[in-house]
Amino acid sequence: MNDIIVRTENLIKTYNTGKVKIFALRGINLEIPRGSFSCIIGPSGHGKSTLMHLIGGLDKPTEGSVFIDGLDITGLSNSGLSELRAKRIGFVFQFFNLLQNLTSEENVETAMMFSKTPEKTQKEKAKELLSLVGLSDKFNAKPSELSGGQQQRIAIARALANDPEMLLMDEPTGNLDSESETEVLSQIFKLHKRGKTIIIVTHNSEIARKAEIVCKIKDGRVDK
Amino acid sequence: MNIPKLVIKNITRKKGRFVFTLLGITIGIASFVTLLSLGGGLKNEVKKQASELGANLIVTPKGWCAYEQISVLTGEQLPEAIPFDEVKKISAIKGLTAVPYLTERTAIKNNPVPVIGILYEEMKAFKGWEIEKGDYLSSQDEKAVIVGSGIAQQFKLNPMDMLTIRGEGFHVKGILKETGSKDDIAIFMPLSAAQKLYGVGDKVSFIAVKVDDISKTDEYILKIQETSNVAVVSDKQLLKSVLSIVGTVSITLQLIAAVAILAAAFGIINTMMTAISERRREIGILQAIGAKQRTIFGIFLLESGFYGILGGFIGVAGGLVFSSLSAPYISQNEFTAFLKGSDLAAALDLRLVIGSILFSFFVSIVSGLYPAWKASRLTPVEAISYE
Repeated sequence: MNDIIVRTENLIKTYNTGKVKIFALRGINLEIPRGSFSCIIGPSGHGKSTLMHLIGGLDKPTEGSVFIDGLDITGLSNSGLSELRAKRIGFVFQFFNLLQNLTSEENVETAMMFSKTPEKTQKEKAKELLSLVGLSDKFNAKPSELSGGQQQRIAIARALANDPEMLLMDEPTGNLDSESETEVLSQIFKLHKRGKTIIIVTHNSEIARKAEIVCKIKDGRVDK
Repeated sequence: MNIPKLVIKNITRKKGRFVFTLLGITIGIASFVTLLSLGGGLKNEVKKQASELGANLIVTPKGWCAYEQISVLTGEQLPEAIPFDEVKKISAIKGLTAVPYLTERTAIKNNPVPVIGILYEEMKAFKGWEIEKGDYLSSQDEKAVIVGSGIAQQFKLNPMDMLTIRGEGFHVKGILKETGSKDDIAIFMPLSAAQKLYGVGDKVSFIAVKVDDISKTDEYILKIQETSNVAVVSDKQLLKSVLSIVGTVSITLQLIAAVAILAAAFGIINTMMTAISERRREIGILQAIGAKQRTIFGIFLLESGFYGILGGFIGVAGGLVFSSLSAPYISQNEFTAFLKGSDLAAALDLRLVIGSILFSFFVSIVSGLYPAWKASRLTPVEAISYE
């Protein structure tokens, strides 16, 4: 098995806003070992989230390649990328991004629906995952009835729904109070101990201190 | 979780918008079904009346228009223009039976009722009538009438009752057995009595002709026209011209309904476009957790189609109920006078029911194509970054 789960090769991303060409990433070369706990840090607007989107297949680079387990995902079709996201990557966002009209259980189930998991299994697994993040009493609660920390834990349960090898988190504690932050962080560390590869984009120095790999991005480049 | 469940949860989350959009397509389909059902009832009834007339040819005065031809079938009052001499000349032609009609009107308890002057013996043989109660007419001069079963039932008439027609008393001699035709809703009296009562001299309105050999119908038409200065139309021509008028009316009404459905279709497009704009971020989330573009397309198309299926079911049910409720009221109109009681057959037309639901589904799916395509074209990042 390849020990490097994510590798980027001269990753460039530009945006055209009218006549001006903006460089979000200016050639990122990165290697993330399987099972590691990695942090991407750096000032706001310097390309951290863009890098995460490219690694997760949410966006395509202008130049360069992203390899997941040796597979160049930049060559994949939209449909291929969707399948990759459904089965191999779990996302956690700063603003939770839960579906507001669904209960916590249904939010977790929806992720499994896209990977074609049978409905019965979806239900069992959703309950199991919600219990794992400490929300066994909130199966039928809608996101609006929950605190920020609880919502983020549901988002973590959803990210784990298809048992991905890798979790990509964009400022997962950025919108939480300190108590909720502690809850969520403890969940994240637990997941790392269970062997998941975790890549976190963050400003949080505590997370960065505990990370095995810290990659600082500045002006769209890796700051050595 | 499955896609249909997700679709229903999405569509019903804004209840007011859901109900109003649904009402649009429901009303469109209901009006479509009502008009189609009434139009179908009208066509069936025209065909039925044409066959109940029992004639192969209709002899009319020259210059009658289509409206008067329809009236032959509806039993409306008609101008009297054929002198009885012409009836005699036509009856003398070998190989055909001719029976004259003088169609007039009277009112019983303020309800208009057709009064038809007939040669009673010839008519009985021509129509094969049977008497339910009382006796049949027995003289051209008697001041008596026989009444159709519907009229007898409606006005509770029995043999020996007296009826006042144009200020003169006639006794009800007998009641006809139900025929299922407009004969059930008419009063018949001897021709000469009717001519005297209405002061029309020796004239009749039209003549129904039955020929012995149907293959020679065209020859008989020529013979009648040579013998007499009248117009002759075959039952098929009559049916065709009446149906073409009914058809034009039906198509016009359906076009009006089509406009209602078109407006509903734009209502669906508007609702879906608004939903996509509001749910941009959600589309991004779905893509991030693995939804493919075609799944997003399918979800939005199904949401739109759901309006069509549900609106179709409610609209068809509403349309059928409305058409059967409204038929008796529209039947006050002389053009649709014979609709009464005929709507049920059209109402149970399975083709109309299934066709309308499928049409509704089709309209909503077509309406949903553009919004669904727009939704599926969003990239995950642009959708998820949407504030």
